[in-house]
This record gives sequence, structure tokens and C-alpha cells, in this order.
Amino acid sequence: MALIEVKDLVKKYKISQKKHGVVGYIKHLIHPKYKEVTAVNNISFNIEEGELVGYIGENGAGKSTTIKMLTGLLTPTSGKIEVNGIVPNEKRIQNNKQIGAVFGQKTQLWWDLPVIESFKLIKKMYDLSDKEYEENLEKFTKILDLKDLLDKQVKNLSLGQKMRCEIAATFLHNPKVVYLDEPTIGLDILVKENIRKFIKDINKEQKTTIILTTHDLKDIEEVCDRIILIDKGNIIYDGEKENFKNEYGKHIIAEFIIENKSKNITLETSEEEFEVIEESENSIKIKFNHDKLTVMDVVKSVSNYCEILDMHIQEEGLEEILKEIYRGEIIND
Amino acid sequence: MIRNIKIYFSFLGASLKRMIEYRVDCIIGMISQIAFQVIELIFIWIVFQNTDNIAGWTFEHLLLLYGVTMLSLAVTDVLFDSTYSIGYRLIRKGKFDTILLRPVHPLISILGESDTTTSLGYMVLSIILIISMLIKLQITITALLVFKILYLGILGGLIIGGIQTAFSIAGFWTYKSNEVVWSVFQLHKLAEYPIEIYNKFIKVLITLIFPFAFAAYYPTLEYLQLGKGNLIFIMSLIVIVEWIIVIKIWDWGLNKYRSTGN
Repeated sequence: MALIEVKDLVKKYKISQKKHGVVGYIKHLIHPKYKEVTAVNNISFNIEEGELVGYIGENGAGKSTTIKMLTGLLTPTSGKIEVNGIVPNEKRIQNNKQIGAVFGQKTQLWWDLPVIESFKLIKKMYDLSDKEYEENLEKFTKILDLKDLLDKQVKNLSLGQKMRCEIAATFLHNPKVVYLDEPTIGLDILVKENIRKFIKDINKEQKTTIILTTHDLKDIEEVCDRIILIDKGNIIYDGEKENFKNEYGKHIIAEFIIENKSKNITLETSEEEFEVIEESENSIKIKFNHDKLTVMDVVKSVSNYCEILDMHIQEEGLEEILKEIYRGEIIND
Repeated sequence: MIRNIKIYFSFLGASLKRMIEYRVDCIIGMISQIAFQVIELIFIWIVFQNTDNIAGWTFEHLLLLYGVTMLSLAVTDVLFDSTYSIGYRLIRKGKFDTILLRPVHPLISILGESDTTTSLGYMVLSIILIISMLIKLQITITALLVFKILYLGILGGLIIGGIQTAFSIAGFWTYKSNEVVWSVFQLHKLAEYPIEIYNKFIKVLITLIFPFAFAAYYPTLEYLQLGKGNLIFIMSLIVIVEWIIVIKIWDWGLNKYRSTGN
């Protein structure tokens, strides 16, 4: 049995349709009209213990709604969720003991207390033994570099410092499952790297199952093994990250340093072969489908117009692939 | 249950530490509250310039009733102040989600955040008022009486706090839930006068439906040795039954909230 089982999960919201103007507003008060919106439309997946899953999708795709149902914050309209044998929405408090969660910029720490006081309260809430607590505190302090932060009040911390403390607080009680909703939003690159490293380390050491939603796809590239992609409430991809790239990332970007250009390449080539992204007097950037053309084909065509001095080849990253998917350029069956 | 209560006290401890951080706010709060009480007392005094009793209650009796009400309200304020603005302070800002993710009942977290130690001064003031009025009315102050004043004061606070907590679920539907709680809370004004002066409807309203009278009128009778029945027992029972209902109401509200989302 998988650690997290989700089957035929549906969440529908009722959205009230307010009309504009005073008359419309009064009409709404007397006879409100609602529109039903399906945020999550019949999704199913299983997650095994110790998996690191990136749960991605555009704004409004249904990510947060799913996470809220997994954590028991929201009751599903229909379908089944089990986390380690517990239905989160029915046994919320029991489920809370085995999970940890970070929700973007909402803090679980006590705003006007020193960080260490929050940690002590967490220790009490989760009935941690002194040994467990001391061990984790020492370890986290080291990896996340919290030493100078513990005695400061949360309100006096910078965003990055706060998030490091937040992450430590989330993992303090050795949760079986951790949901990280946008844990790196607004952070600088060093803090991001620090947090990514921490997540990977803990996952390896404790076999903590981690579900991560993020807009920074570098998080996914560096941390996750598996991707679940949701779009308009439906799962459109669920599998290994590498397969995802192989399946959808059919484009290659080639950048040429050139000279003695005879003609303008953009005007001379048809779009079906390859797409010129950028062109100047001494450089050109071309994107092409790797299934249809080889790199040599492209080099040959380009050399018809100019002399090639140097070139640089790059596979499409997750971000470009996702952009294409969202734009509907990659058709799904 | 015991675990929940232990955690509740840890949360309260944290709130206290926080209050120490804001000493100045605390002192200003205390002064303004006491000023507010003095104005109310002046108002009662003015009424008694025109009459020497209300339904047989003299000025001293009425001040005693006022002191008893004030003690219950002070306890309510210290323990339940955080139920006021659940909608605005917690739900609108998304803080409620993090409370729901804790392994304790959310009410423990919410009540544990109460931090009006300002009302502690108010509590002392009310006890002084009660004792001095009792002395003036020539009632012997025994250890048992002092115990009753304190114990029934706490129960009175729990009674009013329960009503406040039940209505705080308005926060699940509106950010302006504080106004809903406030308007129900204002019913306590009715309990500041002897209930003999009211008609049947109001009597039923403040004894049976919203038992404010048990946080003011009945304890006052008890201290004046005019009470019938064992008030300690009756009020303990009321508190237990009331809170069972309050928690049921609260959980119902929470379930509604979790199924609609916000």
C-alpha cells in the first residue's frame, strides 16, 4: 500500500455571482446566485514512502486546493484520500501529528516571540522527547545556519531567515509527510540553495515523503524525482522527471557565433524547419525539433548564410517545456 | 483532554511573555479600562441621585452587582479576548490554516492567544469593589465567602466566554465577526441590573438562553445570603453543559468552513 493514496478526488466550489451596482448588490443579498467551479476534477495518484514529488501547474490549476485537501484543511466534494492509513479530513488532528506543512508566506511561528520559544511550543504540541528535540535542533541549526537566529524575535527576521526557521519548525517533529507550498518564494539564491539542500538531506536520511509545489522550476529540477503536472483540475502528467523531459522536451536551442552574414536568415527559412529566436550581425539563436532535424542539419543550413565561428547547444529546460504546455503547443492525448 | 489543557497553558505562557514585551501597551490599556469603569460608576451614582432604590436594591447593592459583573467580565476578557476577531485577524490573513495544521483542537490555539493582561487590573478593582460593598452591607467576610467570590467569578467568566466563543464562529463566514460577537456580548449590560426589573422575555433570555444572569445577578444574591439552592453546584453544571454545546457549535462551524473553503 502506498503512503499517500488519492482516488477520484473532486473539489467543487460555489462562487457567488455578484452583480455590479447598488441594485445588483441588493438583488444578490436577497436572492444570491452561485456558479459552480470545479477546482480539482477527478484526480488519482499514489505516492510511496520517501518520494520527492513536485506538484506543479499554473496559478488556479488546482495545486493549492489539492494540498489543502491532502492536509485536511478542506473537505473533498467526492473521492478518497488516505495518508498513511488516515483519512485527513475525518481524523484531522491525528493526521496533523504525522505531517508538516509550509504555506508560502504564512508563518507557523509565534510572531513576537524569539524563534526558540516557538520551537519549544512545537516540542510540547507534538510530545517530542528531549532527545528527539535536541538532536533535531542541533542538526537543523547546523544545516540551516540558525545559530544567530534562535534568540531573535520572528518579526525581526528577514524573509530568508524566517523561511529557514520555518522549514526547521516544519521538520522538527520528524513528520512522515511534508507539504511544501511555495517554500522558496521571494528568497535569494543562496537561501534557496540552502533550503533545497536541506530538503534533499532530510529526505535521504529520514525517508520523509515530500510534496513540493513551486513556481521556481529550479526547485523541481534540483530536488524532485517525480513530477505531477496539473492543469485545469486534471492531471496531465505523472511520472519521473527525466521521462517528462524526454517526452515533452523535443526542442533544442542552438546558439551560433557567426560572421560575414550574407542574407538575413529569418527571412529565408520557413518556420516548419526551425525557429529563429534571436538574430543579430554576429550571433543567431535557433530552436528546432530534435525529432525532425539533427544538429548537423541545422549547422548546414546556417552555414549557407554565414561563417560559423562557434556554437553552443542546449536542451530545453523544464521551464520552457512547461511554457509550451501551458500555451497549448504540446498536444496531449 | 489533559494534553490539550497542558498545551493551552503553554500557549498562555507564551502570550504572557509576549505581553511583557509590550509593557507600555499593557499599562495604557489598564489605565483606559479603569477610566472606563469609573465613568460607568459615575453613571450609576447619578441614577441614585434621583431615586434611593431600584426594585428594592440600594446604591450599595447595585455597586456590589456591578462589581460581580465586572469580575466575570474581567475573567472573560483575560481568557477569551482572542475569540473576537477570528474572521479578521486569523481567517482573512490565512493564519487560521496554520492553526488548523497543529495537532491540537484549534480552540486551544485561539484561546491560548488571548493576551489582555490589561484586564488583570480590572479584576483587582472588581474584587476590591465587591469586598468593600459587602463590608458596607454588614456581611461577614469569611474564607468561604472569598473562595466563593473567586470561584464563581471564574465560572461567570467561563459562562460569558462560552457565549462569546459560540458566536465567534461568525468568523467562518464574515471577516467582521467581531461585530457579531460584540452585539451578543452587549447583553451583559442587562445583567448589570437586578432581573426583577425585566419582563418575562428578558428574564428567560438572560437566564436560560444566554445565561448572563449567572455571571452577575445570582452570585450577587449568593453573597448577600439571599440565594436559594447550591449555586456552586448549579453554576458548575451550567458551565459544563454550556461548553459541551459551545464546542459542538464550534466544530459544526469549522466543518462548514472546511467544506466551502474561503
